[in-house]
Amino acid sequence: MREFAARFIRSPEGVAGLVLTTCLLAMALSAPYLFPRDPLSIVGRPLLAPFADPAFPLGTDRLGRDVLAGLMHGARTSLLVGISAAVVAILAGAIVGTLAGFSSGWFDEALMRVVDAFQIVPGFLLALAFVSVMGASLPLIVLAIALGAWTGPARLARAEVLSIRERDYVAAAWVIGMHPLEIAFKEVLPNALPPVLALVSVIVAGAVLTEAALSFLGLGDPNIVTWGSMIAEGRNVLRTAPFLSIVPGLGLVAMVLGVYLLGEGLVEALARRRIRQ
Amino acid sequence: MFRFSLSRRALLYPVALTIGLAILPLSPAAQEAPEGGRLVVAADSEPRDLNPAVVASNGVFFISSKVIEPLAEASYEGEDGLEPRLATSWEGSEDGLSFTVNLREGVTWHDGEPFTSADVAFSALEVWKPLQNLGRIVFSSLEDVETPDEHTAIFRFSEPTPPQMIMKAMPAVTAVLPRHIYEGKDIATNPTNTQLVGTGPFKFAEYRPGEYYRLVKNENYWSEGEPQLDEIIFRVLPDRSAAASALEAGEIHLAAFSQVPLVDLERIGQVPGLEVITEGYEALTYQLVVEINHRNEALADRRVRRAIAHAIDKDFVVDTIFLGYAAAATGPVPKNAPEFYNPDVPVYDFDVEKANALLDEAGYPRGDDGTRFSLRLLPAPFFAETRQFGDYLRQALAEVGIRVELINNDTPAHIKAVYTDHDFDITVSPPVFRDDPAISTTILVRSGIPNGVPFSNQGGYENPELDALIDEAATTVDTAERVALYNEFQRLVVEELPLINVAEWSFTSVASEKVLNVGNNPRWVVSNWADTALEP
Repeated sequence: MREFAARFIRSPEGVAGLVLTTCLLAMALSAPYLFPRDPLSIVGRPLLAPFADPAFPLGTDRLGRDVLAGLMHGARTSLLVGISAAVVAILAGAIVGTLAGFSSGWFDEALMRVVDAFQIVPGFLLALAFVSVMGASLPLIVLAIALGAWTGPARLARAEVLSIRERDYVAAAWVIGMHPLEIAFKEVLPNALPPVLALVSVIVAGAVLTEAALSFLGLGDPNIVTWGSMIAEGRNVLRTAPFLSIVPGLGLVAMVLGVYLLGEGLVEALARRRIRQ
Repeated sequence: MFRFSLSRRALLYPVALTIGLAILPLSPAAQEAPEGGRLVVAADSEPRDLNPAVVASNGVFFISSKVIEPLAEASYEGEDGLEPRLATSWEGSEDGLSFTVNLREGVTWHDGEPFTSADVAFSALEVWKPLQNLGRIVFSSLEDVETPDEHTAIFRFSEPTPPQMIMKAMPAVTAVLPRHIYEGKDIATNPTNTQLVGTGPFKFAEYRPGEYYRLVKNENYWSEGEPQLDEIIFRVLPDRSAAASALEAGEIHLAAFSQVPLVDLERIGQVPGLEVITEGYEALTYQLVVEINHRNEALADRRVRRAIAHAIDKDFVVDTIFLGYAAAATGPVPKNAPEFYNPDVPVYDFDVEKANALLDEAGYPRGDDGTRFSLRLLPAPFFAETRQFGDYLRQALAEVGIRVELINNDTPAHIKAVYTDHDFDITVSPPVFRDDPAISTTILVRSGIPNGVPFSNQGGYENPELDALIDEAATTVDTAERVALYNEFQRLVVEELPLINVAEWSFTSVASEKVLNVGNNPRWVVSNWADTALEP
């Protein structure tokens, strides 16, 4: 473990990603304590420029809402949606992939055609359609994003399972009379999981962007502040108050970059260990 | 016919020509009154069906009003606020059962046929009354139109119909269609609806989907010396920011209907050669209204509705959301309709303490988390301002302990949820005041309106006293009596608050300083532009 940490620290992108995500995580976790009021509440003069008033370091928007409070609470929403969507997608993908890979035959075929069907529709369109039909609330948005993201993990998990199920210890499990489902989820899945987990960073980054895009189009939950809705709101005054779009936009960049770099660093550190083994 | 494309070069060509002329001293062109020229206007919507006698909407009027004329147009100075167009004079009978219109002589349709009273009778009986959204209300009891001669039309009604309402409705409702083209064919699907034939100062020349509509001068227009312009191009520019840049680049002369967003007006007003014009929309007033679902137990209590009214800071709404391009409302009739407006109504000041006291009194104490009860708010998606007001209202009501859950829908879903399914507690709605309370205002509070009628009382509000007042005013012929009844109507509505009027606003135009006579009547954008001119 210590060796792994040392290897991780040696990769510059991993460290940069760790620093960025830690900062954003700290922002998200501290938001309700630093800004206990609803971040959508109107607190000051509208369209105050950043750094002009110490009470509102990042200024205020068209209605006089604190941009800094929005940024902090928005980090919370973004991270929450990103991580929840990734968890749902990985979970669903791993289960479907394991079932397909382990069962083989017509059941495998059927499951994989379902995966194909989902994969040919662009994930964003899928989310868009789902949200416009089902309505916009946070759990539904998470589900909508996961709907377009679970196919990657499913394919990867199936491929891993196909190779693992031929191993000796799986044969041994059959011999001692374990239930097939027990073998699939107790013996095979845990060993198939690590490569699938490498997808987490990609899915989280994608989910954060999809959520922002949905909010930007007005399909997010209007009762919570998100970076996408802040950018959409700021777009109306882009020429007079560009900071309203730039500030949450930078947040988005930092979040996606941070998560992605962290993922890269982790994968690289893990890969080196494998090579050495 | 020559072909042309609206390239930048084509538009710059006259500009280059003008510069050339300006260099020549005392050129004859510079001394003449500005006549001729091609006016290029931004069109934000692209209606396919342009028949104004069927679809009374601003997007259709914007283009069709130059081609098809009403009996009379709204006016700042004219008698009864009207200026004659196809009618020269009009008079209602004492009993309200007939309305006589004298028509202009020597008018011809664009295809050369003469315009007669038969056209008016046909339009009234076959189009305005059965087909038009507003005409259905105004002419609901129209029985017949008599045509004793070619230039007189007498409208006969089965119920007393106030002449004041007809006069107020004339500009928007009475676009006259050519009988010889429409008679005996299905009006709604007639191909002429996309290739208009009218009597107006401009003739419909062509429409290129996604590009432009082109209107050309009617050489045989009945008014001597008009129109001034040779051509009007409505260039389709659905993107709001595109209109602002096109104005700055000199590619278009005029953007109407607030196509330039409010936040950009201050900046664009500073651009040399462009001006922001707020006149010319007085008869197109929108009202920002909080519509209430009275099926909700809390909202059925008048004290709760009054508390909500006290919780709204109208000055904030006017100054911050509308950036000053609006006025605070006092009641269901806007100040822009001075003949009906009654300032003597109860006032609900912005007063959070009073709102809290009223809610306590109504039996809705704050819970442990400071919340009294929750409401679902559906802001209408039609304007940026209605959505923004929704965001504001959520915060304003949070101050008095009412938790609001915002639900955003697209337009069809919103109309269905509010006006058919009644699946809302409060909604932000922008109804239009159509110059007479009988046309589109009283239905906002009258009970007994069938489900699914948009912009009507779908909140389940019932008040027999108010209903009786509305019914009495609808058939009162005498103007003074009628106005008195509507004054009482306003007082009662504000006292009972079946809905809450927050603000009144209209659009703005941004025009090149070269365009003359902009905004010279209360419906200027949707009037015929016969006197509009373009300085070279």
